Amino acid sequence: MKLFTSFLLLATSASCLHAQSPGPAAPKKKRVLTNAAAAAQPTVQNSSLVKVNATSQSYNLHLPWQKESPSGRRGLGVVLAGNRVLVTAQMAADATYLELELPESGQKTPAKVVAVDYEANLALLESPPSDKQKAFFAGLKPMSIDASARIGDAVTILQTGRVGELIESPLNISKVMSRRYIVEGSGFLVYEATGIIRSEANSFTLPVVKGNKLAGLLLSYDSKNQVTTILPAPIIEHFLKDVADGSYEGFPGLGMELQATQDEQFREFLGLKPNEPGVLISAVVKGASAEQAGMKKGDILVSINGFTIDSRGDYKDPQYGALSAGHLVRGRAYVGDKVEMKVIREGKEVTLNGTLARKKPEAHLVLPYQFDRGPRYVLMGGLLFQELSQPYLDAFGEEQRSGAILRLARIATNPEKYEEAGRKKLVFLSLVLPTPGAQGYDKLGGQVVNKVNGKVINDLNDLAEAFKSAKETWHVIELDDFPHILHLDTFNAERDNMRLLGGAYRIGSLKRLE
Amino acid sequence: MNIRPLLTLFALALLPPVMAQPAPETPTASQAIDLGSGAWDGVVNIDVSVLVPDYREPWNAGQPSGGSGTGFLIGKNRFLTNAHVVSNATRILIRTSNDPEPHPAKIVHIAHDCDLALIEAEDPAHFEKLKPLDFGGIPQLNTEVIAVGYPIGGDRISVTRGVVSRIDFRPYSHTSVDSHLAIQVDAAINPGNSGGPVLQGGKVVGVAFQGFSGRVAQNVGYMIPVPVIKRFLKDIEDGRYDHYVDLAASDFPIENPAQAKALGTHGGGVGVMVADVEPAGSVGEILKIGDVILSIDDNPVLNNGLVRFEGELMDMNEIVERKFAGDKIKLEFLRGGKKQEATVTLKRFDPYVRLGATYNQRPRYVVFAGLVFQPMDRNLMDAHQIRDRTVSYVFDNFLTDKLYVERPEPVVLTNVLPDEVNTWLTPYAHSIVDEINGVKIKSLKDVQSALAKKDQAFIEIRLLEKSRPLVLKRELAEAAHPRIMQTYNIQGDSFVGEE
Repeated sequence: MKLFTSFLLLATSASCLHAQSPGPAAPKKKRVLTNAAAAAQPTVQNSSLVKVNATSQSYNLHLPWQKESPSGRRGLGVVLAGNRVLVTAQMAADATYLELELPESGQKTPAKVVAVDYEANLALLESPPSDKQKAFFAGLKPMSIDASARIGDAVTILQTGRVGELIESPLNISKVMSRRYIVEGSGFLVYEATGIIRSEANSFTLPVVKGNKLAGLLLSYDSKNQVTTILPAPIIEHFLKDVADGSYEGFPGLGMELQATQDEQFREFLGLKPNEPGVLISAVVKGASAEQAGMKKGDILVSINGFTIDSRGDYKDPQYGALSAGHLVRGRAYVGDKVEMKVIREGKEVTLNGTLARKKPEAHLVLPYQFDRGPRYVLMGGLLFQELSQPYLDAFGEEQRSGAILRLARIATNPEKYEEAGRKKLVFLSLVLPTPGAQGYDKLGGQVVNKVNGKVINDLNDLAEAFKSAKETWHVIELDDFPHILHLDTFNAERDNMRLLGGAYRIGSLKRLE
Repeated sequence: MNIRPLLTLFALALLPPVMAQPAPETPTASQAIDLGSGAWDGVVNIDVSVLVPDYREPWNAGQPSGGSGTGFLIGKNRFLTNAHVVSNATRILIRTSNDPEPHPAKIVHIAHDCDLALIEAEDPAHFEKLKPLDFGGIPQLNTEVIAVGYPIGGDRISVTRGVVSRIDFRPYSHTSVDSHLAIQVDAAINPGNSGGPVLQGGKVVGVAFQGFSGRVAQNVGYMIPVPVIKRFLKDIEDGRYDHYVDLAASDFPIENPAQAKALGTHGGGVGVMVADVEPAGSVGEILKIGDVILSIDDNPVLNNGLVRFEGELMDMNEIVERKFAGDKIKLEFLRGGKKQEATVTLKRFDPYVRLGATYNQRPRYVVFAGLVFQPMDRNLMDAHQIRDRTVSYVFDNFLTDKLYVERPEPVVLTNVLPDEVNTWLTPYAHSIVDEINGVKIKSLKDVQSALAKKDQAFIEIRLLEKSRPLVLKRELAEAAHPRIMQTYNIQGDSFVGEE
């Protein structure tokens, strides 16, 4: 058995990639509906809830020309004004088919995504206008949103049973905090609530109501500790307001790193008096809002928009109490809003004014997340080149991070050096298919590409262009890592490209650059 | 007795296969062995008490343990055995098969990189009449050999028989970073055989040293062949072991026709590409990435890095392996299609040693106000099970990314022993120290001297790729230091090496 394991290890780079799906798919059950039980159940809010069935299919991150097997997801969406349906972004991620279903009658209508924000984990669905759509929404009325929930408030998680009956699980909000939702990035507001939730099949979206109004959507439920996290109404309102103006901007961020200053010796070192507010700015993201406003590494941040920032990095929220300073910008402000920050720099208070912006995922050297689109790639004579992304690294898991993957993962967490060198994306050789022209290279994978045919490679478009300009009868590929130099015969590479198209690897296209 | 497995295991890695030579007939008649003849008295049992250093609590002595292996007489009161048999030894006892008396012994020379050691009895009188064993050469494939030693399964001498299965360049698992010529035999080699002779026609053709567990492979044992042994014995002739020398360059096979054409070898099957060069190594100033090595000491180098040497195809490093520090070799190589020649003066490449296991060394450390600093090496990484991404990266890429150039001895903050003075710093254990009060930390001694400077009221410790510096107020830290030393029972606050 041990021998077998050793061989598996040798093949690690070729076989260990599995895309992570956001969670288990709910099993589909087909049953004949009986009307007997339905009448006895309360259906108070049922007129605002619709079942959402999604089929999702993600791309294979390792063989980017192919897709994984499709899987089904189910959830309970909330009908809002204009016959739009709110769900979590997880419901809509990589969706190939979406449909709405009335809980009681089982009537269905197809749907499409109007707006989606994977950072805020929210998506808005719409059913294209038709008679079917009209009939579907006829008996439904929009639910309004209530952002007033506070710590201690009672809320209810709603689910529907097999025949559309309403299942209510009462919870109490016990904590309000800031944490990331489903993708890498800054934290968002979260309610934490305690109580038992009855387990039903609707797994990817469940509404949380306060009275008859929407207070949030379920994010996670830890059945062992009976702790629930809820995506709260203020974030939903923010999302809807942003969608309503026609152009979606997303949630703004400052782009800086805070360090708590509770440590007395550290405070004294920084020149902070006991009980004085303020946190140390330990990093400022290039091009982000904080840098634009003039924030510098080493500043002591003491207030944002008039709210004092304490030594933990919290401010006093009038509704929730102590809350991470990030929410002041992310949750309470919009892209384009003005921001005023006070910092202590060299012992003096300085006021910084700026405009809030959001760093788009595409603007990162390493894509933090990617849904709905296939990974970009270029295939040349069996050599597969990709742009590094966080999902690609995540697919290896924490345990397998050594060698090339560890090197790439470190670049993802410390991209500054590469960004300063002008790289827009990190192009790397991810895999070598065993073509005759790539003979001798088939064990390679994980090497960062510096130049091709003498041209500097800042993204895959550069790479595709550079392959058009071989100076000799071979391409010269310069790598950042061992073995540093590869040559590929131009004629053989083209011949191998032709063979790969429609060949054993079922490759439909030699590149994806959109 | 607590038997430490002296045969260590390693994972399979596939290397270019060695061409098998047709084996000529060398009949070896099986002869009965008469233990009473005294002919075997030169093969001795070595009983070792060891103290395994504690890299987690480096101020402690370590864990006492014991083990047993084999050794054999090769000259006047000179016994050859494996380095791993006598590593970290506090007491060595020699026993012969016909005499129950234990004889205290000590290490004369130990070479961890080739897993060999020479020991001597403190009182040579008992062994004066014994006949040393003689060395043979490299045995041929499919010829019979016997392994003699004291493996598990009994107390008296044991003999197992097999044939030579393969001659190849293999990793030596004792340090885990060294590879040399090794000979595979199918004679049973078990824990305790380590250090024992493998004989053919009455002559020593190798020293049994490692194998696989039966769950991985059957009948695969390895011995250190005579060229490696002879090299060790020659190296210590001047009274000192100088270690192996290395080209300190990596090669990449030229299998791709375009690669061959572009590099100018025209696919003749000769020449291997230089894919990495260590600036601090023997060829750091001579070879460049993209050069093609054509020959080494006039032996043509094939496109997969092998040379035909003494009738066998062997890794080209085998030619370097036989040399000593200061020796010269001739290299012929192509650069930009033009043939060039250079004479290389060989030297040891030190930075790689850090990546291998080390023995017989007292762990080095500095403790200050509960902060424990230790130099990064394999022993430390293994003992602390460090998962921190920056530390793992620096260890993993110490050579590949040439990190040793900037930081020859990275220092790790391995532990923070909690106290009022450092209570906010405990989450920062398992970080690499970048600077202390503006001084770049390149070795453990830098930590000691930076902490000793008393010109500033604060001690500011910057960590590599960590978001905030660790700050201690000097007067508080100095007041807390003796208290912490006492509380955590630390005898000395530093050991930075023997002067």
